Amino acid sequence: MREVKVVEKDKKNHFTGFVLKLLGNEKWQFLTIPIFLIALSFVVASVIILILGKNPLMAFFNLMQGAGIMPKPSYAGYKSILTDFLTLLNFMTPMIFASLAVAVALKGGLFNIGVSGQMLLGGYLATVLVGYSGLNAFVAKPLVLIIGILGGAMLGGVVGFLKHKFNINEVVSSIMFNYIIQYVLSFFIHTKYIDPVSRQSKYINSAARLTLVNVERFGLKMDLPLGFIMAIVLSIGIKLFLDKSRVGFEIKAVGANPKGARYAGINVGKTMITTMALSGAFAGIAGATYYLGYFASIQPRVLPSMGFDAIAVALLGNNNPYGILASSFIISIIEKGSTYMSSIAGVRQEIASVITGLILLFSATNVYIQHKIRTTKEKYKYNMGKELEE
Amino acid sequence: MSEYIVEMRNITKRFPGIVANDDITIQIKKGEIYALLGENGAGKSTLMSMLFGMYEPDEGEIWIRGEKVNIDSPNFATKLNIGMVHQHFKLVENYTIAENIILGIEPIKKYLGLFSHVDLKGATENIARLSRKYGLEVDPSKKIEDINVSMQQRVEILKMLYREAEILIFDEPTAVLTPQEIDFLLEIIEELKRGGKTIILITHKLEEIKRIAHRCAILRKGQLVDVLDVKNTATREMANLMVGREVSFKTEKKGACFQDVVLEVRNLSIKNNDDFDVVKDVSFKVHGGEVFAIAGVSGNGQVEIADAIAGLTDIFQGEVLLNGKDISNYSIRKRTVEGISYIPEDRQTYGLILDFSLAENLALKEYYKEPFNHNGLLNRNVINEYGEGLIHKYDIRSSQGIKTQVRQMSGGNQQKAIIGREIELKSSLMIFVQPTRGLDIGAIENIQRMIIEERDKGKAILLISLELDEIMNIADTIGVIYNGEIQKIASADALTTNEVGEFMMGVTA
Amino acid sequence: MDTLIIDGLSFALPLFIMSIGGIYSERSGITNLAIEGLQGFGAFFGALSVVLLSHFFNIPIQKLFYLALLLSMVGGMIFSLLHGLLSIKFKANQVISGVVINILAMAVTVFLTTQINNMVFGAMSDKFQIGTSQRFTIPLLSKIPILGAIFKNIYPFEIVIVFMAIFAYYVFYKTRFGLRLRACGDNPHSVDAAGVEVSKVQFKAVMISGALSGLGGISFAYSISTNFSPAIYMGYGYLAIAALIFGNWEILPTFGACLLFGFARAGGYYMGQLLKLPSTFSDLIMTLPYVLTLLLLIFFSKTNRAPRALGEIYDKGKR
Repeated sequence: MREVKVVEKDKKNHFTGFVLKLLGNEKWQFLTIPIFLIALSFVVASVIILILGKNPLMAFFNLMQGAGIMPKPSYAGYKSILTDFLTLLNFMTPMIFASLAVAVALKGGLFNIGVSGQMLLGGYLATVLVGYSGLNAFVAKPLVLIIGILGGAMLGGVVGFLKHKFNINEVVSSIMFNYIIQYVLSFFIHTKYIDPVSRQSKYINSAARLTLVNVERFGLKMDLPLGFIMAIVLSIGIKLFLDKSRVGFEIKAVGANPKGARYAGINVGKTMITTMALSGAFAGIAGATYYLGYFASIQPRVLPSMGFDAIAVALLGNNNPYGILASSFIISIIEKGSTYMSSIAGVRQEIASVITGLILLFSATNVYIQHKIRTTKEKYKYNMGKELEE
Repeated sequence: MSEYIVEMRNITKRFPGIVANDDITIQIKKGEIYALLGENGAGKSTLMSMLFGMYEPDEGEIWIRGEKVNIDSPNFATKLNIGMVHQHFKLVENYTIAENIILGIEPIKKYLGLFSHVDLKGATENIARLSRKYGLEVDPSKKIEDINVSMQQRVEILKMLYREAEILIFDEPTAVLTPQEIDFLLEIIEELKRGGKTIILITHKLEEIKRIAHRCAILRKGQLVDVLDVKNTATREMANLMVGREVSFKTEKKGACFQDVVLEVRNLSIKNNDDFDVVKDVSFKVHGGEVFAIAGVSGNGQVEIADAIAGLTDIFQGEVLLNGKDISNYSIRKRTVEGISYIPEDRQTYGLILDFSLAENLALKEYYKEPFNHNGLLNRNVINEYGEGLIHKYDIRSSQGIKTQVRQMSGGNQQKAIIGREIELKSSLMIFVQPTRGLDIGAIENIQRMIIEERDKGKAILLISLELDEIMNIADTIGVIYNGEIQKIASADALTTNEVGEFMMGVTA
Repeated sequence: MDTLIIDGLSFALPLFIMSIGGIYSERSGITNLAIEGLQGFGAFFGALSVVLLSHFFNIPIQKLFYLALLLSMVGGMIFSLLHGLLSIKFKANQVISGVVINILAMAVTVFLTTQINNMVFGAMSDKFQIGTSQRFTIPLLSKIPILGAIFKNIYPFEIVIVFMAIFAYYVFYKTRFGLRLRACGDNPHSVDAAGVEVSKVQFKAVMISGALSGLGGISFAYSISTNFSPAIYMGYGYLAIAALIFGNWEILPTFGACLLFGFARAGGYYMGQLLKLPSTFSDLIMTLPYVLTLLLLIFFSKTNRAPRALGEIYDKGKR
């Protein structure tokens, strides 16, 4: 009897030791835990796909094919894995900006769930003011970005202001603004800018578009997302800003402990507004690259789901801009490859947002896992130590 | 039946990195007042937490009334008729006293024999009766947020009695009381003893033990040093056993040498969020080279005064002058620059940003100035060097030096970091609120010495403390506050502890 | 005038029952932004169950009305376990947990609705038709001038909600469980010291909020659209939160806030019809409750007092 117990205990210890070896190294946790969480999400998704009677591995392979990571068996004219991959980058560009928006706010202790609304507002203003104008490309493209930034930053700033001045929870006010903007802009699009055939806003002039479409090279027709370079640059930029600048220091201080920050002489209200405006600015660029890059028009009465997926991306990337580059790549593959997957494997496209949702769910336990690993490690060491003594 | 009602045999309790209790054995007789004496961190509270079922011992046994028991929860402890008054009261502020007392064992009645509901009326009557029996003077229909600390403590006592506790544990019960309230409490404790209850008193105050305890166990660094008969032991001997060396009861101090007025507070009034006057028409002056202490029971407006001077609370009326300049409308940062250092009461919430590194925290009030900040960019090298300097100068200990996350540091070292940072600001006024709270004797002596040093450098010191001993020990001038009003301002030499205590309770002589 | 009261009530009551759920959760100390997702998942679960039952057992779907209400509560409760697990067991940030659950609820219900429609009914649809709920009028009371409208054209769910609300009120303020629950939101340590398991009370409170949200969700499904579809995610869960904030986390004042929302919304549509505005203006009228919410928040947020321990991660060890 006693022996069995010992063996079981051994097994348990071995298992704990294994998990600790896998996830225990704190230096690598920023990488190991997210990978573990993604794996977990895919395991759950596999179970769902299996229940539906489909082969999950095939489905995931199709997902990769659709996203331009793996080659498809055949391509239409002017298309190849490269064009698919560029389309992925085109989609990923606004995703990076939207996720940075979420991350910046979280660093400052604020939860920006209004990224969707800020994207929509920035995108709408840029579309209306520049997209339909006859400005030439060299003026129009930067102007689109600037207007997108201003639109998003303004809305974010208002949310920050309401929080500071009236103590209104930023989540509740952002959601209200999301709906208000969605309906009000829908009203304007319907009354002024609607394309009666597509039931969307009219297409913008190509001079104002942030993605160069159907560029012919190497016998292919490619979409070149100009914003992608900027996404990389700004990811690095915001990382440096948060780590090195005075304002970044203040944002993080307010995020970590607003009372302590106030005691230290930091103007907490101003910092909060700055944080939300900065976050909104990123959302605004996301809106510009989404509506005037990836698309060229706006669907009325619809909030971009990307604004919510961005929360998953930011949590998965541990709020670190570099982490976000990696995690938005992964989420983009899931979202972008799903159409192809559904047509080939017959798994419904909607599973993509379920997988994203699962990743989000597991990411929310990130802090707990870190904590659990730390305490288990101490206990484990302690137990092992005691056994050695015996 | 055993001679002892409580026996804790060979108890050992470890926490990661520390042995909180090391093979401790204590035996307590029925009907005695048994004191546990020791410094902060000596392991008294841990030991009693195990008796009350909040922790379980790693090794050792607990015997109650001659039976071995395994107390795995406060619930079970209550079943064994053990009750505890915690140092931090566990009361629901927006509930009445009666609701607080019945919480967890609510008496139930039924409407129409069907819908059960809490019988608050019956409970209120029972509690009033119980209060009269032990002379506790508590009105059970009042809300907790409307009563003072002393009465809140009596509510905690009633809670135990309502649960028919026979073994009553008091964790540092006098820390928050005035001398007169302490007298009242000690009388209640003696009354409880006469009623046949067994009392365990956790404390680090020797006078109390001397006054009411029969026996006293002394703990030091997790170990039981000795168990003494209180009657036959001198106070000084107990003190030496507690600390493990000779202690001086008085901080060395030269006579004060007052210079110009640094801080002047004129007719200061402050309202809280409920529009209630918490500070009323307070005026005082603090000179360079003077320690001005505000004595008072917790929650009488003293912390609000400090916050108002530092700019954390809005002033309703009146003004604050620093070196003759009216700073009433200055921002927090501008006041810091003008010459205010502030060591706040709650060092973890206000004084530090726990998730930041030690270096960042040490530069928390100067990071935005040259050379720390150059054209909007922080110079990490400068910040780190500055941090290193302070760590050496103030002997701040941590596992990874400047890179240590402050959260991982001990309370004493956190406080050293704050005090070091604030001294380095070289302000003309230094405000200390409860600077030694929760620290062990060594750290307390050290901090009190630093305060005197700063005074001798010509700084004006405003000290706010709930520890009357501390105030009597280092203050040059004492202002006593009660209910938001200054009752008395006098030179420390002209006041006795008891006089101060009376003013603290609003007794105007 | 009659339509104003009738429509106003049929909107206010589901909102109110969701708010009560929110009050239960938040007064126990757990921030609950998940109401939006909980009501959606609850309604999905109820709708799915009755659609399947009526399909396989050939029962007219109208007859399953009360079962749909009950199962929606069960569904909401099941999904609320996630919020409980994340925010109580895993000690996740409660705001993040709430938002995560909303996103997940939407993804899962949309996926499952289309998938099940496809598999079971062979249809390409993201809706479950759950039939209309027969309205009724109480004979005598409805004759009272003006206020009689309260008793006209009532949805059966309104009666259910009124009774549930009264019962919830009684439990919250009068019973042992209610006393402990409210104490958890103010000072969980005191509850712990009184020998009551804080996390259990909180878990129950979150589950109750799930159940009540589910009831609110299915009621909206019946009153607004006679089907379950992704359109259920209209942000009413967030309105419910706004309502309980104006209501200062107390049940009766919150009822007032919900009535205000209900009448504002009904009034907006009424005005639209009265002024014969073109249909595109419905977009603008739709914004009324949200704009009103913002305005009210501006006036009330500062004076209101949230439960003292709201959103705090309760850790036994800490004092």
